[in-house]
Amino acid sequence: MNLFKEFSKGIFKENPTFVLLLGMCPTLAVTNNAINGCSMGLATLFVLAGSNVVISLIRNVVPKKVRIPCYIVVIATFVTVVDLLMQAYAPSAIYEALGIFIPLIVVNCIVLGRAEAFASKNGILASLIDALGMGLGFTLSLTLIGGLRELLATGSLFQIKLIEGWKYSFMLMNQAPGAFILLGILLGIINWNKLRKAKKDGRDWTPPGLDCSQCNLCDLGKR
Amino acid sequence: MSNGNVKITPLVLSLGIISCVAAVLLAWVYLITEEPIAAAMQQKTNAALNEVLPAFDNQPAEETVIVGEVKFYVGRKEGQIIGFAGETVSHKGYGGDVTVLAGLKPDGTVTTVLVTKQTETPGLGTVVAERKREKTLSGLISGKKETGLPPNRILDQFNGMKAEAGQAPWAVKKDGGTLDAVTGATITSRAVCGAVFTIAETFAQNRETLLKEKN
Repeated sequence: MNLFKEFSKGIFKENPTFVLLLGMCPTLAVTNNAINGCSMGLATLFVLAGSNVVISLIRNVVPKKVRIPCYIVVIATFVTVVDLLMQAYAPSAIYEALGIFIPLIVVNCIVLGRAEAFASKNGILASLIDALGMGLGFTLSLTLIGGLRELLATGSLFQIKLIEGWKYSFMLMNQAPGAFILLGILLGIINWNKLRKAKKDGRDWTPPGLDCSQCNLCDLGKR
Repeated sequence: MSNGNVKITPLVLSLGIISCVAAVLLAWVYLITEEPIAAAMQQKTNAALNEVLPAFDNQPAEETVIVGEVKFYVGRKEGQIIGFAGETVSHKGYGGDVTVLAGLKPDGTVTTVLVTKQTETPGLGTVVAERKREKTLSGLISGKKETGLPPNRILDQFNGMKAEAGQAPWAVKKDGGTLDAVTGATITSRAVCGAVFTIAETFAQNRETLLKEKN
């Protein structure tokens, strides 16, 4: 198995935010600036790496019938650990901004999705690499959205004002509707680019829909 | 213990063991983070109190008096009362509760006002509530460093004001008062104004008893 391929697929080919469209709740809610987006992504990365390794460890011991509850217990444990550690050591401004969305990593589809689709079928090293790739892809996407929103709203990036003397702020981008609009535009650009490439190669390409069979996260739709 | 052809025991056992391991792990993490979390929270309160009180040498966070809706922190230096910090929550914010912390001189004059907790609309309500110094690229390159409390025109207008017991509440200009409000954030301005008045007025009413507070 090509480990580098496992790593890079999370960033490009199966990017959780832009391709799999998973974890939309934190994507839309906490990306009002690049720092928040980045720290949310890193928290998810930690949970993902921890839970993938442990689930890959216990994958042969856990009976099939109770695997989902077991995975959830493992994931919830890691999320609580992250929550406690952030309360203790992260700057209070970041912890306050992320607020309820840290405990909510438990229900983030990426974490359970990778556990079910990858860690429960692969070895420890491959699972760890997969988690790091997916987590990094998520972190980069959130930082990108956060950075763009911050730049469009106030002209700053990572809380540093780039465009000085820009007095009239565009606060729509700082609020929830701005997140939806920007995400829609970004997804449109990505799909347009894919269509363009497919046309060049003479392939047939249909945009991803809500059809379960088009997603390659788990094999539910392909049974 | 069999239900049809499914054996329940191994299912229960495996889930139980995993839960137990998780519980032990969480207890361990809780124990090692308990102290840093308490310290971080203490530091947060102290940082805000440091801004609104003159230099003190006691622990105001541990010396509090609750009068009505206001929680007073007592600041002392060498045992003498040098100021109070009143904290109250206004429920009249636009996006939820607004917590205001105001420093008071022993005679009741407001020295500094801070909004310590708010969920107002970014860009409108937060203009009233936030004291924030913007970092700029050129400032970062030239290494210019500003210290002290960042100014806020709305919060700073309370400095030097003093309430008498039982007087009419302070109001923003829109309500016939004298205080400025941010256009588009009248509700937040009103909430902050009301909270500062509550603190100042409660202090004026109970000044005698508060000043007699013993160590």
